[in-house]
Amino acid sequence: MNNLSQSLWVEFLKARRSKMPVLTALGFSLAPIVGGLFMIILRDPEFARRAGLISAKAQIAAGSADWQTYLGLLAQAEAIGGIILFGLIATWVFGREFADRTVKDWLALPTARAAIVASKLIVVAAWTLALSALNFGIGLIIGNAVALAPAPIEIFWRGGITLAITALLTIALVTPIVFFASAGRGYLPPMGITILLIIFAQILAAMGWGEYFPWSVPALFAGVAGEHTAQLGASSFVIVALTSVAGIIATFVWWERADQQ
Amino acid sequence: MIPAIETNNLVKRYGDVTAVDDLSLCVATGEIYAFLGLNGAGKTTTIRMLLGMITPTAGEAIVLGARIRAGEKQPWDAIGYLVETPNAYPELTVRENLDAIRRLRPGTDARAVERVIENLGLRAYADRRAGTLSLGNAQRLGLAKALMHAPRLLILDEPANGLDPAGIVEIRKLLRGLADEQGVTVFMASHILGEVARLAQRIGIIHRGRLIQELNVDELERNRRQRLVIRARDNRAACAALVASGFFASVTQDDLIAVDDARAIENPDDIATRLVNAGHPPTMLNIAQEDLEHYFLRLVGMTNE
Repeated sequence: MNNLSQSLWVEFLKARRSKMPVLTALGFSLAPIVGGLFMIILRDPEFARRAGLISAKAQIAAGSADWQTYLGLLAQAEAIGGIILFGLIATWVFGREFADRTVKDWLALPTARAAIVASKLIVVAAWTLALSALNFGIGLIIGNAVALAPAPIEIFWRGGITLAITALLTIALVTPIVFFASAGRGYLPPMGITILLIIFAQILAAMGWGEYFPWSVPALFAGVAGEHTAQLGASSFVIVALTSVAGIIATFVWWERADQQ
Repeated sequence: MIPAIETNNLVKRYGDVTAVDDLSLCVATGEIYAFLGLNGAGKTTTIRMLLGMITPTAGEAIVLGARIRAGEKQPWDAIGYLVETPNAYPELTVRENLDAIRRLRPGTDARAVERVIENLGLRAYADRRAGTLSLGNAQRLGLAKALMHAPRLLILDEPANGLDPAGIVEIRKLLRGLADEQGVTVFMASHILGEVARLAQRIGIIHRGRLIQELNVDELERNRRQRLVIRARDNRAACAALVASGFFASVTQDDLIAVDDARAIENPDDIATRLVNAGHPPTMLNIAQEDLEHYFLRLVGMTNE
């Protein structure tokens, strides 16, 4: 693609110079930290009560303080937190050009608009993948720090793969948000849509239609509603893939065809 | 020679609103063309159509020989532009902002960044974040982005916006030099006739989306009205005496007597004699040329005269 490498360099520079990578990393680090806290509570609820971590009246949900549960929590946090945080990242990467009114600077350049849009999508993908890796990495450190009982290597493999696939499903669903950040020309429309999608995901999952609604799929896969493999068929993954591709096509077509006021 | 810019019956409508209406203009290569209009006249919409940012409802724009379509790759390597307010990535320095644009313009020499920093007087601000720049320096940065790759055509929207008087003179000299020495075509939109008349060779006036007049700078001089301006001890009584003598005289808002008759302008001595005889000798008598802003407002029908 025309001048993609230089365009990528520019997009990574813009991301690097902003505070957003640090802020999103701090935000996403909360997931393994909170997960670790749950492990402490699950392992010794009486200690947690005495230490003031939970209320004396709190009823602890069923679960055990082990690596399998902890890695499952990380995957669920990836699915639910990822939709919000990854949507925020996509919103920033695209929407900031409208908020800062810099978009006009790259609409009549010898570098194709498609190359710049592709660079932005690559930055979003790299950024969100890095956060997912951070989630897993910090998870391993915190799991060790709270002294979870050693587990067979298969548990880590299975937990890691579940988290990786959950991450890929969540990241794939960012592309429609990218479209709304572009067509909405700013921050508010895509963030509003993201919140709406999360609400729909909850409602439809509760009604039993979650496997057909793309934004419910990552959380179901991560096991929010129980064992994931029993709930999702191939159609769920196809729906996510089609949604992602539709988001990409809509974004590229919009940037090529829409009037840029 | 192929014109640098040609538009044929260009129209842009937004629903019921016609932003640009049947606009046909031609800018010769090497010319400095000022595109003048009030706010909302259609200047920026026209510029956006010239740059392929919006698609015309009808008509066509041809820039440097290429018919403009949204998303086209040509002829942007030969065009530098500044549209509306000069914006930059606030967290990047001036140098980084310029380097980002340089990288998106393949083939632009890496030394072009330092060169344009020097030429636009941005050396002291090169490592400062763009978000901290004053409006004038932000404007310089916007112009630097437009000029960095030595374009053949410059399309500039309000290039003097935010500049101090010294900066305006400096940019005027720079643009004049580019046109005279390198044959760069300059198409600049402005709403201040006095500013563009000092630089442009030709002026197109747009009002409510329509091109209402195109003229050379010497035509502009000829078209501006002259009037005889008089001051007396009692302006109202002196004015009444002139009206009684059959002249179209009136007292202006700044308390002067203005006489628009050609015979008064050609024979100011006669007017002086009449006033002396009427007992209202003039303390000041001057043939004044209509100022540019007044001429512009008269042309677009924004004055009562």
